[in-house]
Amino acid sequence: MRIVTMDPDSCVACRNCEYACAFKQAQTFERRDSNIRVNFYPEERVCIPGTCVHCEEPWCLEVCPAAAIRRSPDTGAVEIDPERCAGCKMCLLACPFGAIRFDARARVARKCDLCGGDPRCVKFCISGALQYVETEEAFGFRRASFDAHLMQMFGKGDQP
Amino acid sequence: MHAVIIGNSAASLSAAEAFRRHDRASELTLVAAEPGPAYSRVLLPYYLRGSIARDRLFVRDRAFYDGLGAHVRFGHAVTRVNDRAWTLTLADGSELAWDRLLVASGARPVLPRVRDLPGTGVHTLWTLEDADRLAPELLPGRRAVFIGSGFVSLQAAWAACLRGLRVTVMEALPRVLPKVLDERASALLEQRMREHGVDVRCAVGIERIERPAGQAGIGAPAAAGAREASALRVVLSCEDPNVDADLVVVGAGVRPDLSFLEGTAVRVEAGGIPVDERMRTSVPGVFAAGDAALGPSVFGEAHTAHALWPTAVEQGRVAGANMAGHDLAYPGSLNMNVAEMFGLTVASMGRFLESGDPAEEAVVEQDPRGGRYLKLLFRGGVPLGGVVLGSPEDLAVLAALRPRIRARREGRLASGQPFRSLHLTLAVQRSRR
Repeated sequence: MRIVTMDPDSCVACRNCEYACAFKQAQTFERRDSNIRVNFYPEERVCIPGTCVHCEEPWCLEVCPAAAIRRSPDTGAVEIDPERCAGCKMCLLACPFGAIRFDARARVARKCDLCGGDPRCVKFCISGALQYVETEEAFGFRRASFDAHLMQMFGKGDQP
Repeated sequence: MHAVIIGNSAASLSAAEAFRRHDRASELTLVAAEPGPAYSRVLLPYYLRGSIARDRLFVRDRAFYDGLGAHVRFGHAVTRVNDRAWTLTLADGSELAWDRLLVASGARPVLPRVRDLPGTGVHTLWTLEDADRLAPELLPGRRAVFIGSGFVSLQAAWAACLRGLRVTVMEALPRVLPKVLDERASALLEQRMREHGVDVRCAVGIERIERPAGQAGIGAPAAAGAREASALRVVLSCEDPNVDADLVVVGAGVRPDLSFLEGTAVRVEAGGIPVDERMRTSVPGVFAAGDAALGPSVFGEAHTAHALWPTAVEQGRVAGANMAGHDLAYPGSLNMNVAEMFGLTVASMGRFLESGDPAEEAVVEQDPRGGRYLKLLFRGGVPLGGVVLGSPEDLAVLAALRPRIRARREGRLASGQPFRSLHLTLAVQRSRR
């Protein structure tokens, strides 16, 4: 399956992904309707896009007391069925990545569904920070960025 | 091999699924006292509130059990287990042989020792049957007294409020929701409950329940708006005036009923069956999980009772795997609670009450208008748990700490803007996973 990867080093915090997502999800351009969220910390000069990574063993899915979270047989996306969701927020407390939000108007939890296999956030990302890639590739990407981080911590050139 | 699972809720379902992941060949049977298919107890207050339809309480259908290749014997309570002949007896007299047994039979509500409490007009809210009995009683204008201010009780009280009942909540301890909130959060919730018109009475003792004038009442729920003599009187043992009520709902905790294990070598304590990190009981081949079990916690306790859905799911998964011969150890349960009541998101996780240890540090962020309250408790920089009241946005902070509480890893906080810096730290760590 494919997931959306997020590269904070390339992200320019333009928030196009949020607009694209909100428009796809709710036909608005409001941040609160977006399932992807860019956190921008100007003082630290960090911007971090965040959305669901569709975990291999999703705890939100396992713990949902309404059996409202399923894996899509088509895209592999971990999806919330708004018809079944009771709005209990257990998944919000379960997801360590903060990738699930509460829709206060519909009183249900919402999260990324990969737009059925054509994620709008990736389509409208101007800097290439978001990529829709095969999970194996994504893990390679993470591995590389983690290694880079370690090298930075221990001084360039040194073995971590 | 024949694996038998007693129960049909969070722990049992998760155990059945885990068992089948590791063992596709053996026979698997689920036995439960309630008529199947499985429904979610967590959702019963949502059903009472009218926010979900009754059919959405059901979290599995018949096809699920067929898909697992599981036999089901629903509607039959287990009356006896024989751990020498490796059999069990059902209420209809039939016997079932087992090679591996999982006791995931859940818990039952506890009635506090109050004279004449059991009887007409007194409800509990634990099973679907309870909810079906209670729902038609929640008529506008009636007076309801909730005894105990636990999670289920307060959610039910909110449902009663929304349906136009006059609600009184009685708590023996000095504050509401004492197991889930700290003092400040309890005070904020209590204030919010009063704003909703709830008569909140903490630190009260109840002496007895009176049923004036020999109320018959059974099977004759009052018509909406009908003026009638109150069916019940809650007589208090303290100075407070007594309270008349049309119905009483008791939410004073739950405890497993394990009488069917009498005569076996399975060690049973007052709160449940002590199990090790593989959910094994004192008898080889017999496992326990969920509300019936006392399992290890992340804080190093060997035998803790949680009676929480997430704990039951986790323990069931561990039990099911080990029953199938797959070695899986449980790292311990971490209590977590979340619900909405009186328009506030209420949640807590792990340890959130200061113990007086000087190495502990509580970090608090509070909206002065009282709409939002967050508290995280650390010891030596390692998060222990926290409380969230008000905003669902803040649940993400607790959620992000969960793996760190489990791993006993540092979740750094800079002074000044603790939550902002925590968010940032966690976000950076996340991006570097």
